[in-house]
Amino acid sequence: MGNELSSRYDCVVIGGGIAGMETALLLGDMGFECLLVEKEASIGGKMILLSKVFPTLDCASCIATPKMAAVQNHPRVTLLTYATVESIAPREDGRLEVEITRRPTFVDPSRCTGCGQCEKVCTVARPDQFNQGLVARRAIYIPFPQAVPKKAVIERRGLSPCSAACPAGLKPHGYVALIRKGRLERALHSILREAPLPGVLGRVCYAPCETRCTRGKKGQSIPLRALKRFVAENLPREERFLPEKKIPKKVAVVGSGPSGLSCAYFLARKGLEVVIFERDEAPGGLLRYGIPTWRLPREILDQDLEDIKALGVKIVTGKEIRSLRSLREEGFEAVYLATGSLKPRTLGIPGEDLPGVYAALSFLRSYNTGKPPELSGKKVAVIGGGNVALDCARTALRCGAGEVTVIYRRDREHMPAHSFEVEEALAEGVKFLFRRAPLEFRGRERLEEILLAEVRLGEKDETGRARPVVDPSRTETFRADAVILAIGFQPEAIFRDEGFSYHPDGRLKVDPETLATNVEGVFAGGDCVTGPYMVANAVGAGKRAAYHIYRYLTGEEPRDIDLAPEVGRGDKAARVRLKAPVAYSSVFGENPVPEQAIEAAGRCLDCAVCSSCKECVETCPAGAIDLNMKPQKIRLKAGAVLIATGFRLFDPSSRPLTGYAHYPNVITAMQMERLLAPTRPYNAVLRPGDGKVPGNIGIVLCAGSRDQAAGNPWCSRICCMYSLKQAQLILGAIPIAEVTIYYIDLRAFGKGYEEFLQQAAGMGVHLVKGRVARIDELENGDLVVYYEDMEGRGGVRKARHELVILAVGALANPELRKCVREDLQLDEAGFFREIEPVREPCVTSVPGLFVAGAASGPKDIPDCVLHAGAAAAQIAAYLRSLGSEGA
Amino acid sequence: MKEPRLGVFICHCGGNISDVVDVEKVRQAVEGAPGVKVAQTHMFTCSEAAQQEMIRLIREHDLNGLVIASCSPRLHQETFRQMARRAGLNPYRYVQVNIREQCSWAHPHHPGEATRKAVALVKGGIARALRARSLEPIVIKTRPEAMVIGAGIAGLEAALGLSRMGIKVHLVEKEDRPGGLLRDRGPIFPTDQKGRELVEHLWREIHRDANIRTYFRSHLCGKEGVVGDFRLKICRDGEEKEIRAGAIVVATGARPHTPQPGEWGYGSEGVCTLYEFLLHLAEHPEEKPLFYRGRRVRRLVYVYCVGSREPAGEKARTYCSRYCCTAALYTACLVHSRWPEVTQVHLYRDIRSYGKYEKYYRRALGYGSVFVRYSPQSPPEIHPGGRLRVRVRDLLTAKQEIELEADLVCLVTGLEPVHSPELLEHLKLPVGKEGFFQEVHPKLRPVETMADGVFICGCAQGPRTAEESAASGLAAAAKVGALLLAGEVKREPLVAEVIEERCDGCGECVAACPYGALELSGDRVRVRESLCKGEGACVPVCPQEALQVRGYEHETIKALIDSLAEGLADA
Repeated sequence: MGNELSSRYDCVVIGGGIAGMETALLLGDMGFECLLVEKEASIGGKMILLSKVFPTLDCASCIATPKMAAVQNHPRVTLLTYATVESIAPREDGRLEVEITRRPTFVDPSRCTGCGQCEKVCTVARPDQFNQGLVARRAIYIPFPQAVPKKAVIERRGLSPCSAACPAGLKPHGYVALIRKGRLERALHSILREAPLPGVLGRVCYAPCETRCTRGKKGQSIPLRALKRFVAENLPREERFLPEKKIPKKVAVVGSGPSGLSCAYFLARKGLEVVIFERDEAPGGLLRYGIPTWRLPREILDQDLEDIKALGVKIVTGKEIRSLRSLREEGFEAVYLATGSLKPRTLGIPGEDLPGVYAALSFLRSYNTGKPPELSGKKVAVIGGGNVALDCARTALRCGAGEVTVIYRRDREHMPAHSFEVEEALAEGVKFLFRRAPLEFRGRERLEEILLAEVRLGEKDETGRARPVVDPSRTETFRADAVILAIGFQPEAIFRDEGFSYHPDGRLKVDPETLATNVEGVFAGGDCVTGPYMVANAVGAGKRAAYHIYRYLTGEEPRDIDLAPEVGRGDKAARVRLKAPVAYSSVFGENPVPEQAIEAAGRCLDCAVCSSCKECVETCPAGAIDLNMKPQKIRLKAGAVLIATGFRLFDPSSRPLTGYAHYPNVITAMQMERLLAPTRPYNAVLRPGDGKVPGNIGIVLCAGSRDQAAGNPWCSRICCMYSLKQAQLILGAIPIAEVTIYYIDLRAFGKGYEEFLQQAAGMGVHLVKGRVARIDELENGDLVVYYEDMEGRGGVRKARHELVILAVGALANPELRKCVREDLQLDEAGFFREIEPVREPCVTSVPGLFVAGAASGPKDIPDCVLHAGAAAAQIAAYLRSLGSEGA
Repeated sequence: MKEPRLGVFICHCGGNISDVVDVEKVRQAVEGAPGVKVAQTHMFTCSEAAQQEMIRLIREHDLNGLVIASCSPRLHQETFRQMARRAGLNPYRYVQVNIREQCSWAHPHHPGEATRKAVALVKGGIARALRARSLEPIVIKTRPEAMVIGAGIAGLEAALGLSRMGIKVHLVEKEDRPGGLLRDRGPIFPTDQKGRELVEHLWREIHRDANIRTYFRSHLCGKEGVVGDFRLKICRDGEEKEIRAGAIVVATGARPHTPQPGEWGYGSEGVCTLYEFLLHLAEHPEEKPLFYRGRRVRRLVYVYCVGSREPAGEKARTYCSRYCCTAALYTACLVHSRWPEVTQVHLYRDIRSYGKYEKYYRRALGYGSVFVRYSPQSPPEIHPGGRLRVRVRDLLTAKQEIELEADLVCLVTGLEPVHSPELLEHLKLPVGKEGFFQEVHPKLRPVETMADGVFICGCAQGPRTAEESAASGLAAAAKVGALLLAGEVKREPLVAEVIEERCDGCGECVAACPYGALELSGDRVRVRESLCKGEGACVPVCPQEALQVRGYEHETIKALIDSLAEGLADA
């Protein structure tokens, strides 16, 4: 098999089932170049999933695997799995233009050896489609043991909404999935891999991930932040991402807030020499001086800082950098500016300089450094409606204030602060005064009262909020001993003389992708670029800067710094699965135990399937996992195209009277095939409801076939025979079993089939002519089958079975039709129509397009093989008429 | 010879083997045996990953022999030979041991004994592998020319398919016209095209095609040569003609069963077979009202499964002929659309209008056809005479006996094989128990036969409908194309060889060879390798033990037997 794709093939065969494989091999033997496109991760179609085949009772795997291997090894057949044909269009030269999308498998097939180590560590379980949902597989999986190619693929639908929402680039889905498996150390490891400061974020992050959590659309979201906090605070920080090698390049980070720390953390992990310069006496920036200690205990911060220091990052405190030249002279080749946004805005009203009027940050700083102002019993006002205002209010209460009132110019619902913060503040006794704006701070020596004006809400402004209109005619005075102004901050204008570009409000201008400033080698991020924003955003900016600084200095892409490229959010399927809220028994509170954490994580819906926990990335011995793999568009020219896309199995859940999908012991025949197959999931024939060996089994024929009400009046042709086969195999597996087949006609029409029917009857299989109308479940999981007794005494009768198999039929699979603009005709049952089935088998209504196997109508395996052979002859003739000679 | 370095691999086959045979025990039993360098087990040795691993080991340990204990060599011998080739090991240094069919499947209830047997068989395999030689396949140049025997729908399609692929065709038909069973027919399902017109259409194309030569009133009367280059003889009016062809497609069809006179009332007035009725309809398509041989037909009764699905017994036709239900239903629809006044009753066992043919059943029901199910234990009784009556017990109305008056009883008979002794003699084709030609594997190799280069299609392989015959004709053409278009055929080198110093030229073996592969050349026997099938019929007749088959040399067989015995004793 050639691995390299060519830009032209004699024939593109769509579908790697038995028909597609047969035609491709025949054409290849004739000397034609074929491309076999399969949408699944392995070829083999439905046949490879079967137990044995009628009437020879050969093992299906045993006779299909040589074909599959032959396809893979044929010098003129190229195999393209996990790929979808998008369009087929005629060209002027009589050939066809075929457009194919190769879906990303996220596993480099040239490296994967199919060892299966990844499956063992994967944290997400999904129903195994190859075992018809009887058991689970992992998000990363090898389809089945005989798969060709035997390569793992990852089911990954972009990023889960929580992970896509995290500004810091954490993968909440990943650590939740690890916690769910009880692998708490690995959860912490996964958090630390994506971002530093897990303790800090566990306490102070506003958790946009939780807002986006699909579970939260109905009921409570997963407590993502609390789970992070749980692992961050309860597990030892043993894991360090020490660099593999040192890179002798120096980077200076100005500012030790979350952004600077994050940048330093990632660069140090890559082996660069990083020095952080901090003008205060201790590192942490806003984390240390801005966030009140009651919210973020300093031990938590210090523990997080240890992670960074342990990587060899040097933090120089008490040193303010005033010019970049000195840094360059000291040998720093790149600089990251993370100086924050600390300059308080002012109201510009009289009395702002009165004693007793505090700026929010200086008030918090004094509290955090243990020197709070004397507020005992005093009446304190806080101006502002953001989270900082609430922090100030609640801190004031902790300083002993008698009464604290937050004064905000709009209404509660307009407050920028999170509503849960408001709730908590109210619970602590903070008062609120809405639609008031201060006009003047009054007092003789100190503040005594505030002149407030009423505010009317006007038109909506550009942010979508009502514009406040101050009405100076309606005023009141508010008595206050102290007022804290929490009305916003802006960056200080730093390095004014270095030639940086600024926004008018003092924010640095940077390239949004790389965070590079207009000065060579200088990058900037965090609040000094964005203005005041969340800690997680600052951490994310530091990570982004680290990525680009590393690339700037070394010319290499640091692939292990995951910037979560835009891969889209994959929560569609999860929203479908979200049927009802699932409550969890114990509220996951302040001091949980591991069991509570595991239970809370267990509600995760695995929105994007792959959790991005990256356990496979770290486990794969071949280094084959590549989570950044992108879909690949392939355009090529083909002489002919063969449609060998097979059939769909009827889904009996659309027929509620069958009980399928409600009663676990009503299964489809394909599920029975899996229970009987050599690679069977339970290693025995057990009924799924309770794992009991069923002693009395009913097989209901024509489930979804010859049934107008089910929308399929046609006969599916294979079900009679596979049911007779299953009956015999069941009797082989469970010798004491009683098997009853309910039929309308027993269509044992092929070579050796009638004898096969007689053989089944001779083995004691009960054959009952009668259509089953309804199936009910009994308390013990047994089933009652209501059927019309057509040959006995007549009338509706009941029979009890321990397991019921629905012999589901074959439906058309016309999906490919939309890829062809020309009039690709279907027959009355929706299968691809052969225009002259007797004279010219396999020829469709579109020149160059052929059909083989069950894509043109239900067929058993020999008929598929014959039909595929006919298709090969037709295609060879057609190609010859085009001028492709083959060999 | 270099020091032997064998790799031995034992397959779980999912659980097909390992559920019974203790494969790990087998591995341990041979690990470290003389010459064995590697001994491993695999879940599926045939899987790509396992093959990759074995290839790696072959290269890494520079193995010069290979034993895989898995399933029947018929399944995977070629798979593993290919693998050996990919690994740079001569494929004939590979020996397959069958511990699935011969151990786990044969002795499912005696795991201990099955394991013991497996150990012995694997040891025997090792003995063979230690003595295996590197061999190269025998290459035969192929002619891009094929013979198609039979000019029914399958043969016509095969001939056209071959010609369109660029293969010259010799179409041989024993009658003087093409068309077979469709030749004189009116509309056929599912296209509603008249059989006669279909045949004419195909025949016109064949007639125009310079690449196809047709020989009517001819039959095969001799075959020599090998796959890729047969020398065939056909006879016409006592004259013989030699034709060279690389492959042969047998499309000799089948014939409708005709009951013995008196059987099912056959032979009496008003009783005919479906085929006869269809020919009649084709001849008198527009006649109104409906007459059959002078009888006005108002009440028409079809009796299904006449001469089909018979209870087992000597000469019993136990098989289902597959096409007849649909053909009868289609006929009923045809009759209704032209003569709606005719009442039609179908006495059936199971209506096997499978797949999309179901529409004819629905249509016939819609037209008012009545269906009565009878049991093979009490088949319908047909009472001929002036008042033709049919008595039957209807299973669907509590086995009530009903009597139907009929103007015409149409016996829906199946198809039966056409016995053609000369074909059997010259082509040496195996025949299945129903009398149709036997394919190599009914599932995956339906047009190939045990005779190299000879393919079967259409009703010669088994009863089927026109569209299925056409598809199988083309499928056979595709197989021929895959064989001949490559320009050469590779054949097994495991053929007889003469140990020159022992041969005294007695010629016993020449007579014993069914393939004419041995000839006397001076005072020695010579093997014509391209004809030899490696069957070994010559080996035991040689009084001097001068003949042996490669891969099964006297020494090898002796060593194999010794180590089998030893293996059983040890285990």
